[in-house]
Amino acid sequence: MIQIKNLNKIFYENTKKEFYALKDINLEIETSTCVILKGISGSGKSTLLSLIATMEKPTSGEIIIDDESVAKLPDLHSSNFRAKKLGFIFQSYNLFNELSAKENVSIPLIPVGFSQKEINEKVLKALEIANISHKKDELVSNLSGGEKQRCAIARAIVNNPDIILCDEPTANLDFDNSIKFIENLKELKKLNKTIIVATHDPIFDNLDFIDNVINIKNGIICE
Amino acid sequence: MKNSVFFNFLFLLLSKHKSKHIAIFIISILIVFLTSSILFLKNSLQKEVNSTLENQSDFVIQKINSGKTQNIPTSWIDDFSSINGVTSVQQRVYGLYYFMPENIYFTIIGVDFFEETTNKNIKELLNILNISDFLSTNSMIIGNGVKKIFDKYHYFDFYDFKLSNKNLETIKIFKDLPKEANLVANDLIIMDINLAKQILNINEDEATDIILNVPNNLERQNVKEQILIKHSNIRVLQKDELKKMYENMFNYKGGIFLILFIVVLFTFILILYQRYSMISSTDKREIGILKAVGWSIKDIIKLKIMENFIVGFMAFIIGVILAYIFIFILNAPILKNIFIGFSNIQNDFTISSNIEISSLITLFLFFMIPFLSAVLIPVWKVAIIDSTKSMK
Repeated sequence: MIQIKNLNKIFYENTKKEFYALKDINLEIETSTCVILKGISGSGKSTLLSLIATMEKPTSGEIIIDDESVAKLPDLHSSNFRAKKLGFIFQSYNLFNELSAKENVSIPLIPVGFSQKEINEKVLKALEIANISHKKDELVSNLSGGEKQRCAIARAIVNNPDIILCDEPTANLDFDNSIKFIENLKELKKLNKTIIVATHDPIFDNLDFIDNVINIKNGIICE
Repeated sequence: MKNSVFFNFLFLLLSKHKSKHIAIFIISILIVFLTSSILFLKNSLQKEVNSTLENQSDFVIQKINSGKTQNIPTSWIDDFSSINGVTSVQQRVYGLYYFMPENIYFTIIGVDFFEETTNKNIKELLNILNISDFLSTNSMIIGNGVKKIFDKYHYFDFYDFKLSNKNLETIKIFKDLPKEANLVANDLIIMDINLAKQILNINEDEATDIILNVPNNLERQNVKEQILIKHSNIRVLQKDELKKMYENMFNYKGGIFLILFIVVLFTFILILYQRYSMISSTDKREIGILKAVGWSIKDIIKLKIMENFIVGFMAFIIGVILAYIFIFILNAPILKNIFIGFSNIQNDFTISSNIEISSLITLFLFFMIPFLSAVLIPVWKVAIIDSTKSMK
């Protein structure tokens, strides 16, 4: 379970440019549910995802994941948390273009301590789940947008995380690839993953496997 | 993190980032090559000179008149022999002989073949001689550099020396010395002492200088003072002072190069620091992605340091190997002449292989520590930024 309590994120604090990205957020997300964070660009949904992913630290407030407060973990612990419990799918994929799909997917497993054989097995499994195993040796720079996205999904699930965070995952995809991505999400939900998607894409409206839609506006959750 | 997995990924990144490292790699090789070359040459020459000086007498006594050196009376040999603790007092005859066609000087050394010489170098050179054959005619042994010049002017068997009375003295070329002796004997002409006196216009009862040994180290200063008491118009050169003089000469020449090295290295480190400080958006993004997928700051710094360590280490090894080939196999063209000078006869002696491991370790540390520091600081600065910012 993810619990967010009185979460605030202020940029340029105590300056003239001070800006509240998130204001007093309180939220509970049950395990194995799929939640959509909806809102226009700049509403604060991506910031919320980054805070849950421990990639940024909040100005105040708490994020508790499976009874562990993760909001202000030191680097070594937060990186360990990301490596073991979290998968992140970015809007712009954030892959190493000069590496192959297989090599990209293996990156999260390197610091964890697996052997090369274990890594290879896990990578192949993740690529199969994401339906991109046929392109495993292809350089990412040669993949299409949809294929890159599937490669990013494989990387996000390769460490078998409990939580998958997706930031505007369909923003760079055409309609067909967006549908394929939603199919992928559905499959992941079946694997009992907790999925949080930050998006403003209407394609996510009225999907049967979505458990909750949270609207965010100007850093505040709207009822 | 398993080391084998980490290194697999490290080498994968290095192979993919070849173009990113190539400029730094080439400049590093060049810097290491230049510095190692200077160190190798300086150490090798210094060792040669030291071993040459080791074989010299403890004291050289010259007569000084109005600040200029003059020939010294051989009768003074007895004066110095009478000092307690002094052994092997001998006259030395040598001087420069001008060879007009090439506008250069040869060094003539006169040797008394019936007295045991204290100079082991000359002794070793003369071991190859059949003395009776040599002395049966006016003969000389010549160094490799002299031989080349004589050959050029077709003096294959004889050379006519011009005496001060304008007569010519024909002297047979008995033998030429091997190239290995070039550092000490390249421009040398060795002949009988009386013949040398005749050519160099030195009176029979005079010599160029007088040499002597003092076996007891502790007595040397005392003996020096007694020598000075015997005759007032003399200069006494001690072997240790000569050693220091040569050391200073090579240190000075080597020092100039080392200062240049430090300047070049400093500039290079600044460029490197600048390169990583103004880290490209691609590099920042790369670090951001690694952080986002679970790499800690420590893991990222380890990756970047190892990546650059391998580049630096490879460059160091290649630079040192190239320097070894340049100095000890190709015989240091250009650089050798800068160190030993070539105003007289161009010396093409073979440099003997002599590497001081301590110098190499010092060079390695002086190169790698600034090199890695220049990478570490900027990478650390980027690694501590939130990954969302790095990836933007």
